[in-house]
Amino acid sequence: MAQGYLHLSKKLLLIVFTWGSLLVLSGCWDRVEINDLAIVLAAGIDKTEDDQIELTVQLAIPNQMGGGQQQGSGSGGQGEKPTLTKQATGTTISEAASILQQKVPRRIFWGHNTVIVFGKELAEGGIREYVEFFAHHPEPRLRSFVFVSEERASALLEVIPYLEQSSSQFARELARFQIGLRVTLKDLLESISGGARAVALPGLEYEYENVKEKKGGLNINGTAVFKEDKMEGYLDDRLTRGLLWIRNEVHLATVSFTPENADGYMSFKLLRSNTQLHPEIKDGKWKMTLAITTEDDIEENQTDLVLTDPKIIAELEEQLAAKIDERIEETLSTVQKEMKADVLGFAKSFEQKYPDEWEQVKDRWEEKFAEVEIEVVSKAYIRRLGMSTQPQGIPEEEMKEE
Amino acid sequence: MVKRRRKLVSSRKESNPATRIEKNKGALYDDFDKNENHIRAVYSEASDLIFRHFYIAGKQKAVLFYLDGLVDIQELDDSVLSPLMEEFTAEYSGVKELLEKKISVSGVKELTKLSDCVKKISSGCPIILLEGWSSGFALNLTKFEKRAIEEPPAEAVVRGPREGFVETLEVNRTMLRRKIKSPKLKMKEIEIGKYSATPVILAYMDGIADENLIKEAENRLKRIDIDGVLDSGIIEELIEDYPYSPFPQLLSTERPDVATSHLLEGRFVILVDGSPFVLIAPVTIYSFLQASEDYYNRFIISTLIRWLRYVFLLISLLLPSIYVAVITFHAEMVPTSLMIGMAASREAIPFPALIEALLMEITFEALREAGLRLPKQVGSAVSIVGALVIGEAAVMAGIVSAPMVIVVALTGIASFTIPRYSGASAIRMLRFPMILLAGTLGLLGIMLGLITIIIHLATIRSFGVPFLSPMAPLMGSETKDILVRAPWWKLNTRPHLTGKYNKYRQAPGQKPGPKHGGD
Repeated sequence: MAQGYLHLSKKLLLIVFTWGSLLVLSGCWDRVEINDLAIVLAAGIDKTEDDQIELTVQLAIPNQMGGGQQQGSGSGGQGEKPTLTKQATGTTISEAASILQQKVPRRIFWGHNTVIVFGKELAEGGIREYVEFFAHHPEPRLRSFVFVSEERASALLEVIPYLEQSSSQFARELARFQIGLRVTLKDLLESISGGARAVALPGLEYEYENVKEKKGGLNINGTAVFKEDKMEGYLDDRLTRGLLWIRNEVHLATVSFTPENADGYMSFKLLRSNTQLHPEIKDGKWKMTLAITTEDDIEENQTDLVLTDPKIIAELEEQLAAKIDERIEETLSTVQKEMKADVLGFAKSFEQKYPDEWEQVKDRWEEKFAEVEIEVVSKAYIRRLGMSTQPQGIPEEEMKEE
Repeated sequence: MVKRRRKLVSSRKESNPATRIEKNKGALYDDFDKNENHIRAVYSEASDLIFRHFYIAGKQKAVLFYLDGLVDIQELDDSVLSPLMEEFTAEYSGVKELLEKKISVSGVKELTKLSDCVKKISSGCPIILLEGWSSGFALNLTKFEKRAIEEPPAEAVVRGPREGFVETLEVNRTMLRRKIKSPKLKMKEIEIGKYSATPVILAYMDGIADENLIKEAENRLKRIDIDGVLDSGIIEELIEDYPYSPFPQLLSTERPDVATSHLLEGRFVILVDGSPFVLIAPVTIYSFLQASEDYYNRFIISTLIRWLRYVFLLISLLLPSIYVAVITFHAEMVPTSLMIGMAASREAIPFPALIEALLMEITFEALREAGLRLPKQVGSAVSIVGALVIGEAAVMAGIVSAPMVIVVALTGIASFTIPRYSGASAIRMLRFPMILLAGTLGLLGIMLGLITIIIHLATIRSFGVPFLSPMAPLMGSETKDILVRAPWWKLNTRPHLTGKYNKYRQAPGQKPGPKHGGD
């Protein structure tokens, strides 16, 4: 009995000792309090004149970002900037980052970086080397959005936006709307290494409302088209819309046109759209059929057409489909014929259906892509007419019915 | 060391006059005076022992012993003393006849041993010894002050019976008997405590409970050798399976309806005189998460509330540690804006999150403990100070961050959603090692802690029933009272591990509906 008692206390001692030393020896080695972190919200990468890279990071200043009610220090949050941008140059990003660390008293933390912006100058020289850091380092997220800026990326990050707390958040929310392209780091890495050897990244620009305070807004504008990893050209907004239709990424769209036999415009709001790519190889001829089905609501009717008439609706549907066709053709001619960059996802689609044939043209896909015959088959459906089926503000006898 | 202590106890035993009588196995002496002197010697220096000489029918000498305050004196005078003392001529040939003819008290027991007489006196029965008879008789006229039946404050319900057990064993026993009128309800009485001689009742349903289980329970109770039993908690610690476990393996309740429902599921109930808390075993961890009200409210609502409790059990155990782990090791896990908010609130805090969490949790525990102990008159003052210090002032002074206050408050609330206080205490205690693990090893530490707890829970048993059953080992249909609270017309079988000897609780097919109106 006495022996057992002793044994138990020995066992207990042993347990306490092992657990205690486990706790002490492991020593919280990677423990960092969040108030000792410099949270990177966005990173911008530019090229310097002497061919080095300039890394700009946007750091959050938690107290200024309205977190908590810690206004005790007296300085007051009003008028202070919620973010801080810091720059450093180096031959690699990690070198620049470590130089940056010398200027920041807290540990630079990449875990909340959601936006990566490449300056145009750098983008034209190739981005692969610089993307690698963000995929290699354990902290940055593969889900961060990637943009290309026509101007220097650093200038873009310095914008203090209205409505959102930081320009990083501004850009992120814009990307989520999918008005322009939405490309995450993961998408980018996949398409750089993919068969198409071409990448499309959304463009980002800024405009100041108050230059002195650097207050302003951002704007997703157009698409930068890359061949391999080098920027080749720029698609403007209009062509970008066509690109979205082809890539089946369009979510918010309003199409306006003047119907035949009517005055004034009609606007159609996209409900949902589906684009399918049907590749086909016949007698050595490569052909791609784009089957587009869109469903729309009528959002605005400036004409005198009465919408309750099924014939009118059928006609409108036809015209809407034709309108969408038109837009797509426009984009196709630029992307396929001029830039010869397959940012449309054709390569993947051919590879999946015709792996053997693909194997043969893989190395000269750029030329082959330009030769692919494309047919657009679009179909539009008008689903809802809105709250008023008749044009508003027109006497009844003047309304047009067929 | 232990051995020596045992010896000490047993040597004391011999010097005790009460036990010396017990050892004297002999019957009452024939000599009346000898008997009287014996009892008076046993109760020497006991100022509450009353003894009174009187003559039955003016002829036969007799003596009455009782302890003052334990006996219904009114009744004793009216039904015993006055009929016996008045002159009567009728002949009687023995004590038995005398009792049958003269004493109008229902509970009368003839005693032949001195030790029995002493016992009876101690438990409040007056004893009458007669000259010339080597037997006395005990009258069941015990009466003492007892608390009224009230609603148990720790287990209040909105819907359901509002009575609670009291300190008096007889009353508690009655409450059980009133709920189960079948003679199958058995109540074995065992006396525990060398000095306190506390009656303890082992109640069970004959034909439902496993006989071996009852035998085991009885053995464990009989094994107890202790000087006094003041509450059922003492019994609990002396009969449980895993004394070092933080988790209680017997359920304690103040509610007769809870005790009854467990009886009907084949468990046993231990009632201890002097304690309003009865013990129930064997139980599983889920018993601590079930309130009696679950069975009285509509089953859909009860199911939802059960799940709420499961969720809050986890919150109560893990929330502070997850918070600490996330903000010291895994800052990337929190959504950016929340993370910046938390960072802002921690900006001015001088302590690491681990210290902050421990500080706050300990303060909360202290506040809870103080609230429990403090005199009611100062209660409001202390609670105001506590709330202000913990809530407002500490945050304003920049000693703790606002999110931490929220975490601690939520954890505090969560721990009180567990219906059984003893279960909640175990979880509350385990929170602290979890916070330490989280502060040193992050989420990895939390997982280690959780795995340790789960392994422990899977190891222990309560009177042979695995503590995590019926989830581990999984028994499919048994989960009807765990994952959900099935409607009563579905609860046809008793829990398998305790009620398999009498499987069916009720007739099948009792689902009501318009078609079943009067067929």
